[in-house]
Amino acid sequence: MKKSINNTFFFICCSLLFIMSDNSVCAQNEAVVTEKQLKLYYVNSNNSLQYLVVQTNLKTGKNIAPNKNVSVQLYLDSNSTTNLIGKFITDAEGKGKAFLPPSLKSVWDASSLHKFIAVPEYGGKEEVSPTEIEITKARITLDTASSDGVRSISVKVERNENDKWVPVKDVELKIGVQRLGGILPAGETATYTTDSSGTAKVDLKKDSLPGDEKGNLLLVAKVEDNEFFGNLIIEKNANWGVPTTIDNTFFNQRTLWTTRFKTPYWLLFMAYSIVIGVWGTLIYLVMQFFRLRKIGRINT
Amino acid sequence: MENTTSLNNEQQVILDLLPQKFGLRGKIWTASLIVICLVGAFAYYRQLKNGLVVTNMRDYVSWGIYISNFVFFVAISLVGSLITAIFRLARIPWRTPLTRISEMIAVSAITFASLIIIVDMGRPERLLNLFLHGRLQSPIMWDVIVIGTYFCISLFLLYITLIPDISMLIKAKDKLGKPFSKLYRFLGGFWKSDAGMEKKRDRIITILCILIIPVAFCIHTVTSWLFATTYRPGWDSTNFGAYFVSGAFLVGAGGVVVAMYVFRKAYKLEKYITDMHFDKMGRMLVLLALLYLYFNVNEYLIPAFKMKKSEEAHLTQLFSGEYSLMFWFAIMVGMIIPIFILIFKKGRKPVPMFIAGVMVVVGAWFKRYLIVTPTLLHPLLPMYNVPGNYHAYFPSWEEWAISIGTLAGALLIITILARIFPVVSIYKTLTEDNEKID
Repeated sequence: MKKSINNTFFFICCSLLFIMSDNSVCAQNEAVVTEKQLKLYYVNSNNSLQYLVVQTNLKTGKNIAPNKNVSVQLYLDSNSTTNLIGKFITDAEGKGKAFLPPSLKSVWDASSLHKFIAVPEYGGKEEVSPTEIEITKARITLDTASSDGVRSISVKVERNENDKWVPVKDVELKIGVQRLGGILPAGETATYTTDSSGTAKVDLKKDSLPGDEKGNLLLVAKVEDNEFFGNLIIEKNANWGVPTTIDNTFFNQRTLWTTRFKTPYWLLFMAYSIVIGVWGTLIYLVMQFFRLRKIGRINT
Repeated sequence: MENTTSLNNEQQVILDLLPQKFGLRGKIWTASLIVICLVGAFAYYRQLKNGLVVTNMRDYVSWGIYISNFVFFVAISLVGSLITAIFRLARIPWRTPLTRISEMIAVSAITFASLIIIVDMGRPERLLNLFLHGRLQSPIMWDVIVIGTYFCISLFLLYITLIPDISMLIKAKDKLGKPFSKLYRFLGGFWKSDAGMEKKRDRIITILCILIIPVAFCIHTVTSWLFATTYRPGWDSTNFGAYFVSGAFLVGAGGVVVAMYVFRKAYKLEKYITDMHFDKMGRMLVLLALLYLYFNVNEYLIPAFKMKKSEEAHLTQLFSGEYSLMFWFAIMVGMIIPIFILIFKKGRKPVPMFIAGVMVVVGAWFKRYLIVTPTLLHPLLPMYNVPGNYHAYFPSWEEWAISIGTLAGALLIITILARIFPVVSIYKTLTEDNEKID
């Protein structure tokens, strides 16, 4: 009896402790402040296309969720209307993108160093501070060489200085082959660093990679989130892959997913056996019924 | 003296079991059903005129209340095979007053199962294309074939068991009046109660009973495969066939219990549908409810234990989210509460049995809705940039009107059949009575 009372007491204590701890967690949650975040990225793709990517988030405690439908204005160097790059509303993932318009070419060409300014509008009366990044104009080139069966990729990173291109050393970059799920590293390491000539070289160790119908592989070099140059991407086709042949005979096989004229034999056999078996019996019974009807009529 | 008593008894049985004209309540009931059907027909006219856009089904939920209703009808139609065929082959002695009722339910349910599929089609005039260009690889094609087959067998079974009764109805012309005499003569005018004909008819019924069981299992298994062959959270189960069949037996038995009570009350059949019948059906209902509950535990608890990412949103929505109220209602009202009512002897009396039967049927309808709809809201490959209303589904008034109209239509068929034909087999009751006297 005493033991049972002790157990009950223990159960009640545990329950109360659980409820209290749960409430304290709730209280902590109430104290958590939501922070609006905006991240700005500069991307130079193949040295010909420059654009900006914005990511807006809502940070609550440790959780980060996309902040969608945020109106963002992007400016080049100063936030005056003449320097407006573009204006957009972030999508369901909190993302938005704007390309450098031709109207700002003269401003872009005038200097090697540029500032990008993102001004968000959250809809409330709260004050928002613009997000800024500074970028030095840079370019990235990719060359291929093949001798004695060794296929090497050479990538060079240069920055613009007084209208001249100067090699940059110690830039970390990825070099590899573009696959469906990402970049497959060309060598054994995931990233490479440029030397004093601004160059990073790597031999493509992977043989027999499937390419397109002609055997082309898309080679890619990528500088990601560099504090001076932003994101630089270069792509180039090389005929180093194994040509992929498309198997058209697939559609002529008898499978479950082809047209009705290509039904598998086993399915035809099963379906017709069941249908003939059941309907054959049913027709037989209907005939028996008509015979019964006939006998009845004769007797009458 | 014994012969005279027997003759009087026989006449009393015939008098008791002959179809009866509608009283005031019967007329109100029938008129109400007709009005509901007409509202449904008007809603369907609007759907035909304007297209499926009048429904709230969109790219996410493309199978809504219509398919839920279809699955419900298919389920309840299974009772024809349970009561008539399985009970007959198992030689269950107390089945006689229940067989006709279950056959009528089966015919009306399978009729509306076929019709609701056509309602779900945006272009019903293209139904013929299914037969002209149908792919045998598609489970939908299997379903069409098996539903058509089951409909024919159910109708044939109802008719063939009715023949001796129809012959008696022709003889009782004086009591019944003219309304259906031509129909009776056409359907059963040839019947002569001699041993040879009776033997042949009996043989046809036995073969039909053997045939209907696998077809009935097929109809519900194939219906379950419509879902199980689709790779979606909640449907991706190898257990679906058995789960659907067990659920169908439960709702079918529940439907028969409700009909037993209503017919017993309306036609004063207390002598024929006795407390013993309710008691036996009650025991069976408990067994079927426990069986279905077992499959439900398997279907929900095991995926919930693993809580795979793809299943999480769907299961959470059912257990504690938007559909939780309906989910727990279906589990409690459709299975657990009826088990607790029927497990006690007092619970197997007609009134509690009727309440439990209604609970089972109502719970089963909501269960079908839960099987079909919430799953579609959580596809494995979500679509992007779809309008916000695609992410939720609640049927439009047209969908409700059509669905309720089909339910009323099924009840109307049962009502009309019960008006034209005896709900308890006169011939079989007399034969059994004579056997007892002998």
